[in-house]
Amino acid sequence: MGQYRAWLEAYGAAFLDAAAWTLGVAVAAFVCALLWGAILFFLRLNGGPWAARTVDAYVQLLRNTPVLLPIYLIYFGFPLVGLLWPASICGGLALVAQNGAYICEIFRGGYKAIDRVQHDAAKSLGLMPWTAFRKVTLPQLLVYCIPALGNQAVLLLKDTSLLSAITVVELTMQAKVLTERTGAAYAPFLVAAVFYLFMVWAIEVLTRLAQRGVRWR
Amino acid sequence: MEMTASDLWVLAQAAVISLLMALAAIAFGTLLAVALTPLAFAPWALGRAIYRLYIFVVRGTPVLLLALLVFYALASFWGRISPYAAGIVVLTLYLAALIAEVFRGGVLAIPRPLWDCAKSLGLPRLSILRRVVSPLVARYALPPYLNVCVMAVKASSVLSIISVWELTLASREIIERTLDVYRVLAVAALLYFIMCFAIDRLGRNLESRLAARGFAGERL
Repeated sequence: MGQYRAWLEAYGAAFLDAAAWTLGVAVAAFVCALLWGAILFFLRLNGGPWAARTVDAYVQLLRNTPVLLPIYLIYFGFPLVGLLWPASICGGLALVAQNGAYICEIFRGGYKAIDRVQHDAAKSLGLMPWTAFRKVTLPQLLVYCIPALGNQAVLLLKDTSLLSAITVVELTMQAKVLTERTGAAYAPFLVAAVFYLFMVWAIEVLTRLAQRGVRWR
Repeated sequence: MEMTASDLWVLAQAAVISLLMALAAIAFGTLLAVALTPLAFAPWALGRAIYRLYIFVVRGTPVLLLALLVFYALASFWGRISPYAAGIVVLTLYLAALIAEVFRGGVLAIPRPLWDCAKSLGLPRLSILRRVVSPLVARYALPPYLNVCVMAVKASSVLSIISVWELTLASREIIERTLDVYRVLAVAALLYFIMCFAIDRLGRNLESRLAARGFAGERL
């Protein structure tokens, strides 16, 4: 027991630091992915047939390839065109690119679930397009999309672990470094797992709260 | 430097290894899931708690972390072990959790009256499982099951980090040698896309063939 205590005292701060990186990258990437997904969905809906086809091709391509490919594409590819960005930004961008595609699909599914009559009713009430979206479409879209978005947030959080492949010192990388440096067999991975599980649990609680917030009134 | 035709051949071979790893993990994962799913419906609370804990832990931690954990933990028990073996173990554990949830959803989708019918026919429990539950679950679970199969191919890329030589690791090696980033990754993406798309198509084909034999869609 004393051994673990000494271990935690020595490396606790390093773990907290790494957890902050994981959380920071995940939150920033999720916010940007929401925006990117919304833009893609808007283009798909209102941009004409060519925009719709392009968005569909983008979504299909990113949904059917592993996240490591866009991560490597940006991390190894950007320096070739003169963009020397930090690894965390490169990796974050890759996560946004892929999760944006998934989120676009989530919005599309939610939008399809809204009854056509609702749009007709909004129009016949004489609502302007923006008001109709804000007052009629958006509240219903949120009800349908929030569970899936929470799920996507969990997936994104877990995918931040892949940034360890491009030298970002987040939880997984920190655990690996400590395992190799201290000769611990695998205990640091268990500690990292506890951090991840706690964050996943927090996301699930937040999703449930958000769901309660947008339910039909 | 540009990638050559021989690099292309290397990538194709690596893709086959990715696919084989994924298929092996799907097969073992399905077996493990068949053993896990009944736990979700166990009459004792402990069984259900074990099931929930397994699902929460495996789905709540990144595959990469699981891979490193299993790789290092197995290595500390048995000395050096093959990353391929560790990779298949990890993917199996991960896919089993996903597939067990798919099966659980399938069981929950069975309409209540069907259970009552099966019971009122006086079928023994095992026959209910074999003749009523499994065919229905197979039918309900096929689309999400295929989704998991596609995820298996994508998840196998993570194993590159524990030095399993498959498509992603091969791409990275070629990139680091030639710096031909865009072309190599385009080929890798295309190969992954073909594998995932093929699984999806094959699955849909299977779905429609099952439908022809009386496994019709959502209707009962």
